[in-house]
Amino acid sequence: MKQSLILGGRAIREALRTPDSLVPTIFIPLFFLVVNVGQTARIFPTANTEFLAGQNYAAFQLPSSLLLSASFGSAALYLVEEIEGGYFDKLRATPISRMAIIGGRLYAEMIKTIVITAVMVLIALPFGIRIESGILGFLVLLVLVALWAVVFSGFMQLIALKTRSAAATQGASMVFFPLLFLTPNFVPRSLLTRPMEIAATFNPVTYIMEAARSLILDGFDWSVLGTGFLVVAIAGAVMLALSVRMINHYD
Amino acid sequence: MSLAIEAIDVRKRYTGKDGDVEAVRGVSLAVPPGQVFGFLGPNGAGKSTTVRMLTTLMTLTSGTARVAGIDVTVDPHGARRKIGVALQEAGLDPRQTGRELLVLQARLFGLSRAAAAARAAELIELVELTDAADRRIKGYSGGMKRRLDLASALVNQPEVLFLDEPTTGLDPASRLTVWDEVRRINEQGTTVFLTTQYLEEADQLCDRMAIIDGGVIVRDGSPAELKAELQARTGSASEPTLDDVFMDATGRNRDRVAGDVQEV
Repeated sequence: MKQSLILGGRAIREALRTPDSLVPTIFIPLFFLVVNVGQTARIFPTANTEFLAGQNYAAFQLPSSLLLSASFGSAALYLVEEIEGGYFDKLRATPISRMAIIGGRLYAEMIKTIVITAVMVLIALPFGIRIESGILGFLVLLVLVALWAVVFSGFMQLIALKTRSAAATQGASMVFFPLLFLTPNFVPRSLLTRPMEIAATFNPVTYIMEAARSLILDGFDWSVLGTGFLVVAIAGAVMLALSVRMINHYD
Repeated sequence: MSLAIEAIDVRKRYTGKDGDVEAVRGVSLAVPPGQVFGFLGPNGAGKSTTVRMLTTLMTLTSGTARVAGIDVTVDPHGARRKIGVALQEAGLDPRQTGRELLVLQARLFGLSRAAAAARAAELIELVELTDAADRRIKGYSGGMKRRLDLASALVNQPEVLFLDEPTTGLDPASRLTVWDEVRRINEQGTTVFLTTQYLEEADQLCDRMAIIDGGVIVRDGSPAELKAELQARTGSASEPTLDDVFMDATGRNRDRVAGDVQEV
């Protein structure tokens, strides 16, 4: 754990020294939020759209943008750069748990995502969005989104370790398109066409998105929230199990 | 007295794009403490694979390897505490400063924050990087990176230091600086295992050396012994050079090397 924190500190310092890499993480999701809301908000007026629970359409769309921001998986790109450059072997030659090398980057990803998510929510507040679940709900939202970022980055790091190639890792990160868009990101699941509803039901991100959305629109809906955290926990457990196996057999 | 490095019939086989490849085919080595041991061979001979196995970065397919008396397969963590490693590519994090990199490395070896800072300062002075220590590594020259890599391999005061082609790509002045460092480290009692493609380097630095070709050791001895053996065998009037020993051991000559290049 201590070793992960030491390596995590280094990864955070690295992020602070490359602010240009953080810009797309905030800018692209906010761009999507503005464009999506701008194009569709008139279809969903607050007054007679029940699923908005009295808020504007931007509040409904915000979780998609937060999850998009958390799905850039930049930790994996830094990792593959270190594999190609040889620093990864330098770390492997030290007497630390090999999982700490992965864990350090995931810890940094969590901290980074908490900060970025908080910034994005704060930017959204002046545009009439409020967090129905209050300050506590806001903190739960940060944790939920950060955990998703850890899980997604963890899977991307697996690809980095397997392929040892920046191009392959970058290519694989495009998986966030189906993961984020085969979800109820424009309307609730019950309003999707049947094929999209089936796809969304099998997509784990759906449950995380619904949990995040419930915190913004409805307050604490323990059932939806519990499902969201359960999904992220299961995905996290799978990711950690595969990571331990992968890093311990890395040759 | 136990050996600093002992390898017994070490083999490495892996499956590549062209099927099974046996990169190392039964290497045995015995390096006493305090020596500078040279490990030479042409490209693709198995040098780096052997080093990676001895430094716990790669598993052994079969055989036994002990470094500083510790079996690298049974207790890799224990072995890592006793060794320092500077690999072929100076593996450094370009976004950190030299000092930060050394402090981090020291902390990963279990030193406290204060002890790590003190050790980093000591090493920075040792490799003469004082002026550049607080600059980011991406701005360092090739020679500075090598010296920093060397320093990072010394944070734990290793009993055995592995240097994989430490001077490849360096200008002559930087190469001489690295040689001086290697001698100084060795004088302090550290065993040095050095792979190199430069025969002059082996001649200058090594007490003993082995030549590997096609995954097997084809010569083993001190530079003087190897030259004397070749002279006795060929009956040459003049003393052979290490180049002659290398060519004789690996069957390389200019035509063959040219052919190898064409194949690449």
